[in-house]
Amino acid sequence: MPLDTSSAYPLALLRVDGRRWNDLRRLHAAVRTQAAADGSAYLEMGNTKVMCTVTGPSEENKRRTAASTATGNTGGAGGGAGAGGAEVAVEIVVGGFSSVDRKRRGRGDKRIHELQTTLSKALAAALHTHLYPRSTIALSLHVLSQDGSLLAALLNASTLALVDAGIPMSDLPVACTAGLTSAASAADDPLVDLNAQEEQELPFLTLATLGDTDRVMVLVLETRVQAARLKDMVDLAADACKSVHKSLREVVRRRGEHMVEEGAVEKGASMAMDMDIDV
Amino acid sequence: MPREAEPSLNERAFVVQALQEGLRIDGRALDQFRELDLKFGDQYGVADLTLGKTRIFAKVSAEVTTPYTDRPFDGIFTITTELSPMASPSFEVNRPTETEIMLSRLLEKTVRRSNALDTESLCLVSGQKCWSIRVDLHVLSHDGNLIDASCLAVVAALRHFRKPDTSIEGETLTIYTPAEREPVPLSWLHSPLCVTFSFFGEEADIVVMDANLLEEQLRVTSFTISFNKHGEICQGAKLGGTTVEAMTLIKCANDALDKVKELTTWLDLKLVEDSKRRDKGGLMAELSAENER
Amino acid sequence: MTVNTEPQALISHLPKADGSATFSYAGYTVVGAVNGPIEVQRRDELPEEAAVDVIVRPAAGVGGTRERHLESLIQSTLRQIILVNNFPRTLIQVILQIIVAPENEYVNAKITQASSNLPILPALLQTAILSLLSSTLPLTATLTSTALAIVPDQGGSNIVLNPTAREVEQSQSFHVFAFTSHNELILAESEGSFTMKEWDDVYARAYSQCCPPALSSDNDDAMIDDQRSAGSDLRHFTRSTMEQKIVSDLYWK
Repeated sequence: MPLDTSSAYPLALLRVDGRRWNDLRRLHAAVRTQAAADGSAYLEMGNTKVMCTVTGPSEENKRRTAASTATGNTGGAGGGAGAGGAEVAVEIVVGGFSSVDRKRRGRGDKRIHELQTTLSKALAAALHTHLYPRSTIALSLHVLSQDGSLLAALLNASTLALVDAGIPMSDLPVACTAGLTSAASAADDPLVDLNAQEEQELPFLTLATLGDTDRVMVLVLETRVQAARLKDMVDLAADACKSVHKSLREVVRRRGEHMVEEGAVEKGASMAMDMDIDV
Repeated sequence: MPREAEPSLNERAFVVQALQEGLRIDGRALDQFRELDLKFGDQYGVADLTLGKTRIFAKVSAEVTTPYTDRPFDGIFTITTELSPMASPSFEVNRPTETEIMLSRLLEKTVRRSNALDTESLCLVSGQKCWSIRVDLHVLSHDGNLIDASCLAVVAALRHFRKPDTSIEGETLTIYTPAEREPVPLSWLHSPLCVTFSFFGEEADIVVMDANLLEEQLRVTSFTISFNKHGEICQGAKLGGTTVEAMTLIKCANDALDKVKELTTWLDLKLVEDSKRRDKGGLMAELSAENER
Repeated sequence: MTVNTEPQALISHLPKADGSATFSYAGYTVVGAVNGPIEVQRRDELPEEAAVDVIVRPAAGVGGTRERHLESLIQSTLRQIILVNNFPRTLIQVILQIIVAPENEYVNAKITQASSNLPILPALLQTAILSLLSSTLPLTATLTSTALAIVPDQGGSNIVLNPTAREVEQSQSFHVFAFTSHNELILAESEGSFTMKEWDDVYARAYSQCCPPALSSDNDDAMIDDQRSAGSDLRHFTRSTMEQKIVSDLYWK
């Protein structure tokens, strides 16, 4: 079953998809893709394609709060609603057509649940939720195509959609993956932004940082790896996050410029101004 | 349904301030676990773990079934965690809470995905018969750090477990009852254990191991990392929450490795103790069996 | 496998639950917890009395019809002895977690057992009572429960008290009785084929087991010894367990 990624690498110093070790895939993003939503974004990291819409902050929904996966009142820190701040409710829909094997994922899928909780808790910490007590910020994410780095893509798309919705945050949360070409040897080379093939057989982690700092929001490592290699992977992923941060800022800035150029900014005029100042 | 009582503002302030001064309300050091106790049952694969006031009961059972069609050479290995209202009235039957989902995902990643149990060894006749090993985890009492305690209980129960012996002669597969042949242990490859760190303070710079329920409710974020004693990370998860300096996480990983080595030694010792106790019991059982005839 | 014939119990050992008990007897070990009276869900709410919710959880596998059956039996029994009218619009939750059930060494055990549901019932009931006592919910009476089997024995048949898993399998019929502390029959469940005469015999045996003559005065010592030898007196056991617990709780006085 093993693919030949590891042996292909030292020969041509290229990965299966022709990238070098520190190349990110093409990151294409569009903001405000759906006019009806309060905020929306579409993001591609290579062939991983996700869409995100934000609704809110809106009035807290009693029934939702009880059933929501995102409430943080069952131990641990989280985006719990109430007087403290807004609740961040995340819903992820993985399209059956998104990967090669057409697999139906039920509502009870624990992996999806985990992704939802992770996103909800991460975003709740980055957003200034305390400005919106007793309200809900609902994110709806649709996975259109999967090719590795799913969590990273979901988080980056959410960031853009939240910026579009004009919800204040301390900095842009950004995420990226980093892996190692082989777990055994000590001289193995690190890789960034893994695709599905690489994720299948290489140890990797997903790291999310707040802006271009070294402060970690999310760290998810699901494969066996030597303890000594953790630091390299984290360092590399943090660097990759910085490049992602740069790209996302560029996307946001372009969007801002576009809105000002158009002159017909019906919504969030002040936001466009903010962007200008920010740049 | 009734909600878990949230700590009052006073409690909140008190616990956090004490932690800032390097003190925990139960007097432990920041990296100290609560008192651990592990009891094995009379039957194989039954472990009853107590960590402070947290109590976990794990039971392993084996059954012969047909393997999944897409993996004819693998046995089936499942870990079920269902939190009952016994642990806290806020847990409902048949409606998994976030705690429960996270717990089962972490155990899945730590024990199952890291290949701690060699599932290929569970295959009896490829594509037709295999063992289905099932771990049932019951939380009898929940006072924080369910993850570390559950992981320890699951690993202990699996290492303690013996499945009925089998033999294949030509086409016929025989499964021996415990009375006929002594059951055999599972093919166990490595013992991954979790250590959870809880972070406190605005900057998340106070790091605490083995948080109790109160501390869990007040922490700003947590980081769970699983190691085996060979120094391999099996899983790491910091799922959102306040941001933590990357260097702090690396340091946590190193501390966790030391802790896991300590816990593994402790677990090995307990297993040896139990097998000694069982050896005596084994003789006794033989005698009583003879008396019956 | 050695089976302890003396009942053992541990009371109020779970710090979170309102009441809890671990009970082991005749090879069974059950952990019980009681929460209540607590908030009830809208759809389960009863305007005049407390809803009693019993959850039975097997040691291995998820609960199925067997557990639902046991739950309904226990629920209807407990409703009779808890003063449900004292707590209208509330819920009393009884969780019974099976820890150890005797295994038949001569058969390979299956996770989902097709065998009889009833043998574990006395242990579950007894645990429920101890947990309820520990939670200090008001009860009209306590109860004691016992299991009996009619096992064929060289042409005739024999009544076996607290049969082992193997004896249950070989038995013609299997019976579970529960009596309140007022010596009233509160639960009778039977399986298998038996005549009315046999049932009467079994009933008489169960009655003498569960409802020993009251220990009225000290000069009954001889009687007590008689009872002890006949089998363990569960009613006395429940009482002494509670007394011990109270003594240890009030030790500081």
